[in-house]
Amino acid sequence: MSTQRTKQLVLSAAALMLAASTACSAPGSTSEDQQDAGGPFKIAVVNAQSGQLSSLGQWEWKGAKLAADQWNAKGGINGRKIELELFDDQGDPTVGTNVARKIASEGFVAMIGTAESAVTVAMIPILQQSKIPNITSGQSPAIAATKSPFAFYNGPTSNTYDETLAKYLVDDKGLKKIALISNNGSYGKGERDAFTKALASRGVTPVDDQVVTTDQKDFSAALTSIRQKEPDVLFVGSEEVEAGLIVKQAKELGINATIAGAAPMGTPVYLQTAGEANAEGTVVSSPYLSNDTDDASKAFAKAYQKAHGEAAELHGAKAHDGANIIFTALKNSKGATGQKLADAIRATKYAGLLGDFTFDESGVGIHATSIGVISSGKLTESAK
Amino acid sequence: MEVFFQTLVGGLGFGAVYALVAMGFSLVYRTMGLVNFAHGQVVMIGAYAASTFYMSAHVPFFVSIPVAMLVTGLIGLVIERVLRPLENKDFDLMLIGTIGFGMVLESLATITWGATGHAVPSPVDTAPLDLFGIRLRTYSLVVLGIAALATVALVLFLQRTKRGAAMQAVAMDHEAATAVGIHVGRSNAIAFAIGAGLAALAGALVAPMLYVNPTLGGSLGIKGFAAAILGGFGNIPGAIVGGIAIGLLDSYAAGRFQAYSELVVFLVFTVIIMIRPTGLFGERTVNRA
Repeated sequence: MSTQRTKQLVLSAAALMLAASTACSAPGSTSEDQQDAGGPFKIAVVNAQSGQLSSLGQWEWKGAKLAADQWNAKGGINGRKIELELFDDQGDPTVGTNVARKIASEGFVAMIGTAESAVTVAMIPILQQSKIPNITSGQSPAIAATKSPFAFYNGPTSNTYDETLAKYLVDDKGLKKIALISNNGSYGKGERDAFTKALASRGVTPVDDQVVTTDQKDFSAALTSIRQKEPDVLFVGSEEVEAGLIVKQAKELGINATIAGAAPMGTPVYLQTAGEANAEGTVVSSPYLSNDTDDASKAFAKAYQKAHGEAAELHGAKAHDGANIIFTALKNSKGATGQKLADAIRATKYAGLLGDFTFDESGVGIHATSIGVISSGKLTESAK
Repeated sequence: MEVFFQTLVGGLGFGAVYALVAMGFSLVYRTMGLVNFAHGQVVMIGAYAASTFYMSAHVPFFVSIPVAMLVTGLIGLVIERVLRPLENKDFDLMLIGTIGFGMVLESLATITWGATGHAVPSPVDTAPLDLFGIRLRTYSLVVLGIAALATVALVLFLQRTKRGAAMQAVAMDHEAATAVGIHVGRSNAIAFAIGAGLAALAGALVAPMLYVNPTLGGSLGIKGFAAAILGGFGNIPGAIVGGIAIGLLDSYAAGRFQAYSELVVFLVFTVIIMIRPTGLFGERTVNRA
């Protein structure tokens, strides 16, 4: 009798499980009926909210939130409110892919983020498959190399940053002895490749090319090797905190070369980590040098200060521009999603804080940066 | 040659920090037989506490260190008290308990200080010394000095004081120790508190060398743990040798193997442990017979 009972039990359990599984939708699919005609636009903001890169995530969130609040105050997009939801990718590509799947299955129409190139590259295949447009703050050319029609940059790529930097250092200032130190992450590698290419096109070979890990604490070996080559310029290709530590140790070791770099060198985190005295004279290539550049940036900085109680900087401005572009595209396309929204974004012409956006097939919207020099803790535009 | 000596100096600075972390690990393991997986996070709390006192309350740096050590010592006492029912009964559960505490500490740090973290200016502001072309950061020398002092103090405590002897007795045979009147729980609490204090010292010293944020404990904890095992888990001189070895290995591997330095460090560690599983100086821990 008991074997009969067990058989019944097993069969009924199997039947229940079968019934339950049909009720769940297949993983990764978007439920079209969730996006009904009257509801708010759900947009995901994905960034590191923990870990060493979390300052980037915080700035991005604040910039995007400011943009969303400004639009909602004016009635939203065609009468529909904008709903931003923040996801923490912890600066980790694996967590990023999990978040991407989550976004895909919960009916978000677009994504703002991430500021870390490595995580963005990891998320792109999933976003492409679910047709969710994504505007990222990352600048690695690896993002464009994925050739996804749904990936857009809210700033220039490393190629642009470093081409402008190389032009300033080699063509304008005539400095030819250049050493590189970069990390082996997606951003650092992108910077190293882009800068080496820009130098090569000017016939300049770096006197030293050191690579460090993203987690490294002691740079003595790499920096001493660089010091022996007596360079005029030390190009640093790594994120804010690591760049600050590298410059601090470089100055302590007696390297007097001019420090040069891209966006991370323009942040307050770099200034504080390196120390104001050590950061003095750093040459920065950035499309958003300071909050006082023009009326638009002054207004933005004032609104940002009022909403968040701190000074605005490049990444907040980038996210603000990126968010505005998505909202404008949603408005122009009358709330389209998927491929139509991606096409609308590509067609958007927007006068932003970073400059005038015109997107090309690779998803790049800004094609120029400016050169600034840090003096007395402030980033000022360099005299040409 | 220049690169060799400069790397040596840089590696020693961080090696001293790893040595302090390893000493904390080894002390708790030696007296309680417990691997404290919250140790890395305690280092982080120590770094935050010291830097907050130093930067916000403007307490002089070398006064904020003992204050931070007191604060984290208290945290150590709390952890031990919570886990006391498991002592000598179930080491595995106790270990998992410390992992849990580690997560709690990291979350508390994020709630209290935010996830972003802050940079700490160096308290010793003089220019580096120049010795035959090798630059010696004055702060690194200070770190090495303080670490050496802490080591001497710890060894003297364990070998010359009654409490220290009591802690060693508890490790040898906790029932016999109780029989001669030693309060085992209290002795373990002190061991935990000292371990936490060492962690705080390491964290406070390393704060101006790095960037303080809630994940600071992760990589320092792992390398400190590896250092403790390398020197012989539970062995205090071993912890120091292990810490310095890991610090030097780290710096030289970074110079030679650049992006693959982490891989090389842990490969070397693995090979040494395979040849000598109890570490360079042999394990010392509780008698679990």
